[in-house]
Amino acid sequence: MSTETLFRRITDYAARPDPYPLYAELREHGVARQEDGSYLVGTYDEVVQLLHDPRISSDAHSRADVDEELLRAEADGMTPAFIGLDDPEHERLRGIAMRPFGPPHSPGRIDALQDDIARIAQELIDGFDGREEVDLVDDFAYPLPVTVIGRLLGIPSGDMGQLRRWTDIVIASLDFDPGEDPAVKRRRGREAGREMADYLGDLAASRRDHPSDDLLSALVGDPGPEGAFRHEELKSTAALLLIAGHETTVNLITNGALTLMRHPEAAARLRNDPGLMPSAVEELLRYEPPVQLLPQRSPLTDIEVAGVTVPRGAPLILVLAAANRDPLRFPEPDRFDPARRDNQHLGFGSGIHSCFGAPLARVEARIALTALLARIGADAHPVEDPPPYRRSPVLRGPRHLLVRH
Amino acid sequence: MRIVVDLNRCQGYAQCAFLAPEVFFLRGDEALGYRPRVSDDQRERVGRAVAACPVQAISAGPAAGADVD
Ligand code: SF4
Repeated sequence: MSTETLFRRITDYAARPDPYPLYAELREHGVARQEDGSYLVGTYDEVVQLLHDPRISSDAHSRADVDEELLRAEADGMTPAFIGLDDPEHERLRGIAMRPFGPPHSPGRIDALQDDIARIAQELIDGFDGREEVDLVDDFAYPLPVTVIGRLLGIPSGDMGQLRRWTDIVIASLDFDPGEDPAVKRRRGREAGREMADYLGDLAASRRDHPSDDLLSALVGDPGPEGAFRHEELKSTAALLLIAGHETTVNLITNGALTLMRHPEAAARLRNDPGLMPSAVEELLRYEPPVQLLPQRSPLTDIEVAGVTVPRGAPLILVLAAANRDPLRFPEPDRFDPARRDNQHLGFGSGIHSCFGAPLARVEARIALTALLARIGADAHPVEDPPPYRRSPVLRGPRHLLVRH
Repeated sequence: MRIVVDLNRCQGYAQCAFLAPEVFFLRGDEALGYRPRVSDDQRERVGRAVAACPVQAISAGPAAGADVD
């Protein structure tokens, strides 16, 4: 088949359980121009090089096909979060957000969450008692990170249901669904995102007078030398952290559970030696990364990639999951090896936009999978394999994972 | 246990400093610092940091750093 249709075939829902043969086809062809003028890259060296290339923009304004909906939203006062900005704006906003989240100013925040995370995981697992069949998504992998990000930000637990509904709409709007008018979907996504951001902005403002030890209080409190967020920046950043804190970790945990059930020897090894779990989590990020591809980049000028000229403004799609299985970089790339050593995977991206929440995701996945292995026996198995997947080819993972244990 | 970080490989993403904040820390904005002698209560955390370092820049163990002493 023509490589011009590769992206269509990757986004086709039928490919969701196993996109890896398509990624192999992509790697073989180097850079693949698509019928709509976008470019797909899936070889490790090229993806890394592009992730570190300052001529590659993450800003939607750099694209030749400027999104009218975005311009309208901006005319209304919305500002994009740092994931959609280039330096120096990206660095300024990311720096302000990092101040209460991690080192050097807040070195212990994630570490201090560990006991909480373990307790939440254990409570969810205790809920398995007396049930032969559980849904590892709805009963475990979803509620865990959502509860954690809610607590971290300081959102009252009673409001999390509403935030989940907004998140679902925003996530759906990022999807590639041939059956739906993309403009309508994007508009709906922006509306939900705006309502969510307004809610978070009001909540943060109320913390100004009644601070507690959560992230929202810190973000409206005492600014560092980088200065403080403007209110609109605070809103979009808080919404980004909340949304990114939802789906990605859910998929990391679910893909992890499924992979371990498919590899009983690895699961047995990890049961005996939980100290191997941190490296198993890294391998999962390589082998079944929750973010499969980055669809939002474009070059600021014509660039050469592996002998192909990608014109300025063309959508440039970096397929992290394909690079993660490049045989030129990883020996036996299709083998799941929880003890793999040289494992510089791209599961969290790389370069200036490398995942902000990576340290939290690592801790959550390690604790969740360790607790899960301790609870479900070696004979636990999926009721259906492959399980039903979510629609998204970008944030890929099972929608449900019914397990008999 | 002793550790050594190959600072030529280190890319400063600070994953280690999140996972074992008492052992690894950032000086100012980017430069990584660390305490080479690891106390027993920090071993497990350091093990997680070793696994999570994207470029495998941290070596740990009784022999780590033997050649730089
Ligand atoms: S995790 Fe590795 S690369 Fe990152 S700061 Fe620590 S030693 Fe350096």
